[in-house]
Amino acid sequence: MANTKTDEKLQKIAKDLLESGEVNLIIGYTKGSNPQRMRPVFITKPEEAEKLSFSHNAVQDLAVFLKKQEVKKFGKIGITVKGCDEKAVNALIQEYQLSRDNIKIIGMQCNGVIKQNLADKGETKVSETTVYDKCLICQEHTPVLYDFLVETEEPELSLSGNVKPYAEIEKLDALSTEEKNAYWAKEFDKCIKCYACRQACPLCFCSRCIVEKNMPQWIDTNSEEPGNAQWNLIRAYHLSGRCIGCGECERACPVNIPLMLINEKMARDVYNLFGYKSGLDINAKPVFGVFSESDFNDFIK
Amino acid sequence: MSRIGVFVCWCGSNIASTVDVEKVREEAAKIPGVVSAVDYKYMCSDPGQNSLRNVIKEKNLTGVVLAACSPHMHENTFRKAAVKEGLNPYFVEIANIREQVSWVHEDKERATAKAVDLMKMMVEKVKRDKPIEDVRVPLNKKALVIGGGISGIQAALDIANGGVEVILVEKEPSIGGRMIQLDETFPTLDCSSCIMTPKMVEVNQHPNIKLYTYSEIEDVSGYIGNFKVKIKKKARSVVEKDCTGCGECWNACPMHKNVKSEFNINLSERTAIYVPFPQAVPLVPVLDRSVCLHFKKGGKCQKCFDACGPKCIDFSMQDEIIEETVGAIVAATGYDLMETSMYGEYGYGKYKDVVSGLQFERLLSASGPTEGVIKRPSDGKTPQTIVFVQCVGSRDPEKGVPYCSKVCCMYTAKHAKLFAHKVHGSQSYVFYIDIRATSKGYEEFVRGTMEQDGAVYLRGRVSKIYEDNGKLIVKGADTLSGNQVEIAADMVVLATGVIPKKGSDKLAQMLGISYDKYGFLTESHPKLRPAESSTAGIFLAGMAQGPRDIPESVVSGSAAASKILGLFSKSEYEVEGTISSVNEATCVACFYCQRVCAYNAISRKEIKDRNGNVVKVVANVNPGLCTGCGACVNACFSKSIDVKGFMDDQIYAEIKSLAV
Repeated sequence: MANTKTDEKLQKIAKDLLESGEVNLIIGYTKGSNPQRMRPVFITKPEEAEKLSFSHNAVQDLAVFLKKQEVKKFGKIGITVKGCDEKAVNALIQEYQLSRDNIKIIGMQCNGVIKQNLADKGETKVSETTVYDKCLICQEHTPVLYDFLVETEEPELSLSGNVKPYAEIEKLDALSTEEKNAYWAKEFDKCIKCYACRQACPLCFCSRCIVEKNMPQWIDTNSEEPGNAQWNLIRAYHLSGRCIGCGECERACPVNIPLMLINEKMARDVYNLFGYKSGLDINAKPVFGVFSESDFNDFIK
Repeated sequence: MSRIGVFVCWCGSNIASTVDVEKVREEAAKIPGVVSAVDYKYMCSDPGQNSLRNVIKEKNLTGVVLAACSPHMHENTFRKAAVKEGLNPYFVEIANIREQVSWVHEDKERATAKAVDLMKMMVEKVKRDKPIEDVRVPLNKKALVIGGGISGIQAALDIANGGVEVILVEKEPSIGGRMIQLDETFPTLDCSSCIMTPKMVEVNQHPNIKLYTYSEIEDVSGYIGNFKVKIKKKARSVVEKDCTGCGECWNACPMHKNVKSEFNINLSERTAIYVPFPQAVPLVPVLDRSVCLHFKKGGKCQKCFDACGPKCIDFSMQDEIIEETVGAIVAATGYDLMETSMYGEYGYGKYKDVVSGLQFERLLSASGPTEGVIKRPSDGKTPQTIVFVQCVGSRDPEKGVPYCSKVCCMYTAKHAKLFAHKVHGSQSYVFYIDIRATSKGYEEFVRGTMEQDGAVYLRGRVSKIYEDNGKLIVKGADTLSGNQVEIAADMVVLATGVIPKKGSDKLAQMLGISYDKYGFLTESHPKLRPAESSTAGIFLAGMAQGPRDIPESVVSGSAAASKILGLFSKSEYEVEGTISSVNEATCVACFYCQRVCAYNAISRKEIKDRNGNVVKVVANVNPGLCTGCGACVNACFSKSIDVKGFMDDQIYAEIKSLAV
């Protein structure tokens, strides 16, 4: 398949970076064996840069690899990121997991990625019915921070307003506490504690997760209640004010727990209460690491 | 295997009347690992402590639980008793069944159940206690005193006389503070400058005191024993070491009409280069660049420079930052008078002859603008009738502050007395709410003002003051006779309330000490630790803590000094060992702990391999700064930080002990 203009530009940037020695590794996408899917690729030699590609099928958030020791040992790294994924890079810098000096950000303009299940069935058109919900609320079609920008050739995503992203949140908000509990009990009941959500998350970077702390074992490890709810709730809390909404946890979940409803709800609450959105500014202090006198305190009676 | 002893205290009837102490003891005896359970009337008494020690010895206890009062009260008592029997002090745990149970509940059955639960939790905790060593912090034996008023001066002198180096920092060009502005002082009527200036001179000459005037605290970091202080020495434009204080410069200054004297509270003028008052210490002028013609008109005027014999005027002088390391700090920042603009009906600022108490002091003072002759500001005539209004701003929650400013009753009585002494045949009227004259000789003093000096005291408030035909008409109520009164006065003196010094809240934030809603610095304990702030190593003195008179300010200065001398009498300072510790194996250096730490106790630590390469960065706790508050523990996602004595497994076991 012929290279697109986007691919050519991307490959040129990567080749130059590797040739000049500015980076030792480039994390990017390459075409998968299935033409409707893209897979991650790790490139260390300039001549391999031609493997790089990007399209509306580049679904995965590659920032997840930045937390891996195998990747960290390369030192200076280049990464191909969409606007949503780039926020994860920013959040990692904010939380001292990454140095801005060690990362070259190749920002990919993106007008939405096609849901993988639809792509697998042959869908090739970006539209409001074919992309992920996160694309419908996306404010960062152009990444907020980049060293290089690769413009998109896709037409702009047109929104009719008929498709409501994360529509379930409003429905759940309207329910009583008991009904909400029942809804989530049913969802969490499916959880098999595989921790794929954690592994796919670029911001779950602890080398020892709290579930792995066994003296004492705060969270039951068997995949039953109450351990399932404990795990999912503690993950929600650990990500509140931090989650950048890439949706990888939900995509990784083998039993289809709608995790993004939790993450998006938390993000909305944090924004409403503290005016903070995660991953937009590498110099911002993470919201739960600061105290401000203007923080709401209605909960103190 | 744990061998725990549980001791249930009755606290007389304090606990026993609401909690079935025998039942608590019986329940304790059933817990695995508890080898002894007793109850006793007063565990803190000598026999109580002895029984504790005997059981530790006889039963070879590995841990002790006291179900008693708050650890705040007697934790130390019981720890000391346990240490005498060879136990680590942190193997003593307290279940607070007094403040948290008997004092706050009525239903005996349920209160007892709660007491049992608290006791059980502590048993599970003490089983998992590990020995903790207290942390020893080295002490830099040098003190910083902030504020050169009477309490700061007293503190500095006492510390210096104890053989310790002191740095005294004063914001104004001279030390002396508010007291040096006063005329004579109640109740003995000795002249303020006569008793104050010898102390000021002593400060200046003391070999152990380094004095920085016209200087401010720029930054404070560090902790007890090791505070790093940045002092901004503002550009004085006069070289201190060369100046003789001869006065040629300020005599030569052409700016002598327009600048109001801060020291005389706008009742006189000063020059651009000036000393605030003749006895200033140091007697070195300050050039006020905001009004100096040299700075305002592009360097043309240099009359002071020309007049100066030793040529010590330096127009190019810059602010200087001085860094000092000290082991302890006294905050003696003093007070201001409240603005009275909210009392429009009193006409302060509108009528020249309505003055504040402090202004009246200056009118009485021999070094004041009228050289001690009482002249009213409007026309310089000597007033024959003065009305004094007490509680202007104080004790007025609506418009002012709810608290009592404490000194106004006394200084108003003094004002009326001095007025009678200086202007024979004059008449003063005092409007008051209550007379508060509670110290030695005070009541007699006020009586004297009423009975010998003829001041008429009217119990009530003033409703309006207005000018009429050269007189100030004061309308008020005499609530004792029930009459409305109207007095034609030549002058009115308002006893305005006392508020904390402007900017003292900022300083408190810099120091990391707490202050109340008015801005007064708060004591570590209002009764039992009145000289200590909430932060170890920082002490308080004078009006910065709240309204008080001169003797009390002197006492508080001495108290702070004695605390510091006591602290410095040891080679090291001991900090409780219950501080945070980091699990370096699991820490991922996200530094949320550092962000939430209110004490700046967390820093970055690099772990290196044998070749010196950094292999890992982790959080590190500074034991001198950590207070063991636990904020970091809550912030840590991977649970890689714990407070010793409150470890994760202990908390978990405590919670589990409640599971039915």
